[in-house]
Amino acid sequence: MLFALLFAEAAEGEEEAINPVIPEISEMFWGIIAFAALYVLVTYVLLPPIQRIRNDRAATIQADLDAADAARAQAISASAEMADQLADVRAEAAAIIDAVRAEADAERERLVARAEREVNAMREIAESEIVAEREQALASLRPQVAELAVSAASRVTGRSIDGGSAQSVVDRYLTNPN
Amino acid sequence: MFGFEYPSIQDLVVWPNYFGGDSFWALNKIGLISLLAMILPALMFLLSKKEMVPRGLQNVVEGSVEFVENQIIMPAIGPEGLRYLPLLLSIFLFVFFGNIFEVIPTFQMPANARMANPMFLALIVLVVFTVIGFKHNGLSYLKGIAWPHDVPIGLRPLVGFIELLSVFLIRPFGLAVRLFANMLAGHILLVTFGALTIAVFTTSVLVVLTPLTFGMLIILTAFEMFVSFLQAFVFAILTAVYIDSSLHAH
Repeated sequence: MLFALLFAEAAEGEEEAINPVIPEISEMFWGIIAFAALYVLVTYVLLPPIQRIRNDRAATIQADLDAADAARAQAISASAEMADQLADVRAEAAAIIDAVRAEADAERERLVARAEREVNAMREIAESEIVAEREQALASLRPQVAELAVSAASRVTGRSIDGGSAQSVVDRYLTNPN
Repeated sequence: MFGFEYPSIQDLVVWPNYFGGDSFWALNKIGLISLLAMILPALMFLLSKKEMVPRGLQNVVEGSVEFVENQIIMPAIGPEGLRYLPLLLSIFLFVFFGNIFEVIPTFQMPANARMANPMFLALIVLVVFTVIGFKHNGLSYLKGIAWPHDVPIGLRPLVGFIELLSVFLIRPFGLAVRLFANMLAGHILLVTFGALTIAVFTTSVLVVLTPLTFGMLIILTAFEMFVSFLQAFVFAILTAVYIDSSLHAH
């Protein structure tokens, strides 16, 4: 279609015909001026501030990234250090707990032993007191038992029995019942 | 047919001079668009704030710089091509703003649908990559093109001749014609659907077709906005590729 138009126009006549492929000098003149001006402006006026702000931005972003990396590394280092310290503290706490536990065990054993000793002592005292009480009870019962036995024997035999000999029999019996 | 009269090619692309008569400095719509293609990006850069956190216009400006850096220079040349950022950015902006006037009401004409701008831009690119080639490789740049080592010796004159034509003639011509033809074709397409929409709207029988032609006009307008960007990108990246071939010429 384009070529048909071009050829159609060319065929219309020598004076009226134009050939769009042939450049107009005046159009080229203004085009060259405009492009040259644009190139000079872009090179020396328009582009440098844009490049400056882009470079500044890139530098800022890079600095921020570097700072973030450094902070991350520092955080990782601090975290590792804290983990080490935590492990030390835990080990120390475990050691303290073990020591305290051992000490408590020893103390408990010591207290238990002392309590056992005291209990034994108290038991011995109580047993000796019981024995003494029994002895005392026996001692207090012995004359009465002898008297009852003499009285009973006197009634059975119908004669009077000597209290002294009866007392020795009773004593012997109470001392050794078998 | 149906009262449809297609405008002549002269009506589509030739504009009267505002001043200057027939002199070389006469200014017409194309010249005005060229000036605006310089003024608008300059204003855009000047009015954008330069803050650490970009907003609004600053995003557009920095986005365009980053686009040229990351999508044109780095893939085509690499980090050593960053020194050509001002040139490639200027080419990209100038071509894009020259193209985008195709869809701006009252202008509705891409400056690059005329051959003047694409041709002088292509000539600038030719000069740039040739100078870079000689600067980085000395005379071996020309020798590497005219007498290629990796070709059998009997074919070297022929291949060398073809290479010379390819590098110094076809490359710039291709750059210029690609841009010019694409923009002219897009311009004609928009004019075609614009004229067609008016024609069917004013014709009682075919008025029902108006939504169709008008819809196509809207779609093509959006498409031409994309083409405006695409052609600027293609022109700039081909320039970068040519610079790279001069930097690393064998």
